[in-house]
Amino acid sequence: MNLVINELKLQWIEMRQYWFETITSLGFLLVMFLGVFFGIKGFVLQQGDNQTLDSLIFGFLLWTFASTAYGSITRSVIEDTQKGYIEQLFMCPKGFVGLMLSRSLADIIPSLITVTLMAYLVMFITGNWLNINFLAMYAILLLSAPSLVGFALILCGLTLVYKKIETVSAVLSLLLMGLVAIDGLPFNAFSLLPFASGATMAKNIALLNEPFIMTHLLIVCANSLVYLGFGIMIFRFFEKKAKRLNLIGQY
Amino acid sequence: MLSVKGLTKNYGDNTALNEVSFNLAKGEIVALLGANGCGKTTTVNSICGLIDWDDGDITIDGMSIKQSNAYKKQIGAVLGGCRNTNWRLKAKQNAEYFARLRGFKGPALKEKISSLHTALGLDEHENKEILKLSTGNKQKAALLSALSYSPEYVLLDEPTLGLDFQTVDSLKAIIEQEAKQSGQSFLVTSHDLGFIEDICERVIVLDKGNLLFEGDVTALKQKLYAYELVIEYQDNRLDDSLTASLWNQRSEIFHDGQRTIIKYDTPEQVTSFISAIHSHDLPVAELQVNRLSMERAYQTLINTTQEASA
Repeated sequence: MNLVINELKLQWIEMRQYWFETITSLGFLLVMFLGVFFGIKGFVLQQGDNQTLDSLIFGFLLWTFASTAYGSITRSVIEDTQKGYIEQLFMCPKGFVGLMLSRSLADIIPSLITVTLMAYLVMFITGNWLNINFLAMYAILLLSAPSLVGFALILCGLTLVYKKIETVSAVLSLLLMGLVAIDGLPFNAFSLLPFASGATMAKNIALLNEPFIMTHLLIVCANSLVYLGFGIMIFRFFEKKAKRLNLIGQY
Repeated sequence: MLSVKGLTKNYGDNTALNEVSFNLAKGEIVALLGANGCGKTTTVNSICGLIDWDDGDITIDGMSIKQSNAYKKQIGAVLGGCRNTNWRLKAKQNAEYFARLRGFKGPALKEKISSLHTALGLDEHENKEILKLSTGNKQKAALLSALSYSPEYVLLDEPTLGLDFQTVDSLKAIIEQEAKQSGQSFLVTSHDLGFIEDICERVIVLDKGNLLFEGDVTALKQKLYAYELVIEYQDNRLDDSLTASLWNQRSEIFHDGQRTIIKYDTPEQVTSFISAIHSHDLPVAELQVNRLSMERAYQTLINTTQEASA
């Protein structure tokens, strides 16, 4: 918990010190969404399909959350490897993975607040008021986020050894849009992808008010555990390789 | 006690460390010396857990550091290349962040950070992020972070790089005070042998991954030559075997074209050589007799070993 608080403090200091960047990035996110929303609105309303519009808003919120959960540690490792102090982070007594998991959690908590604020702002601007069960949404997203963190750890491991993987990272960020859009439930091939089942469950329960299904929850938890475990395993493999070849911090 | 036992690290056919062993006791200040690429940074990075070595072990109070990361709570390090701080934060914010990373917090920590901040001369840059600081001040901020939580073992890789004389003096005082009062142990790598001579009780010299010397500074200085004579002849130089025979006691002679460089221990050793130059009536273009600084004398030790091994 001490590590999470430390990371939250770090984030707060950076957000305050670089307030212009903080405001512009939030503004950019909002403007981007409004552009997409009003672009699609006309097309959807012609078909009389309000449900699609609601899904679009909700999907955007999920994507914002997923990008944060996935992007926090990959961005951090890429930046810290290139211009920073990654060696010092590797000297954390709780281990680098422990630190990165804390950093993810510290990113996810403000991200949930941002998503909530963004949701109300978007609904206010668009006049499209959704009935979202935020508590259910938070719970499901927190349960499904580890799958994205595990996926991000794989990229972190690659970064340690290969250093420049921004292109792969950018492509995967775009693929997240697909992950939040596809139906990962009931169980099908897409359920095997990271976060897909969690995103679907969040939509079903928090937006569509569908009943809670225990099997779906188990699928989401299993997906999270498998991807997180796999991510940690792959990261440790690359970490060992980087330490053997003296690559940590070398850029 | 921190013990490095038979540490060996190879990169393919290149040996970075070859069975290097030494101890670092509580409150001790030890220097790790050597030319670039001799294995100093590999040793420091191995202790920090940043490198997996091939053979040997590093233990703290008898326990291998490979067994757990917990030992890192008691390690502070300033690593080479200005890669020790978050450039987006200020010096104090960095120090607090890295201390909390190891579980240290509270008013005592803040007080310690403030006093070190002042001692290192960072107060006038209090409101600047690291990225706005000069190289020397970045180094000071790194030192602040490494020392802030009073770790038992402090590893300083080239800590004086970019520092002015005044700050080097402050750093010496801080290290000596921390070692004496808090019992902190310091392992310092540096090319600034004046700095090493002033604060280190023991010196370890590495050369191409091998431990060349381990002992106190006085013992090292005894191994080093005190004087250097450089003579440049106008035409022919004095016969090499005659030159060699004129230098009784310990000496080393290098010939380089018209120049001859002789390293020796005592002033009286030079007289018979000068006398021979005079009696052979050899014209001399230049003649210098220099008292060797520790830096230059130490380089002689490296050269001597290299020649011996060749």
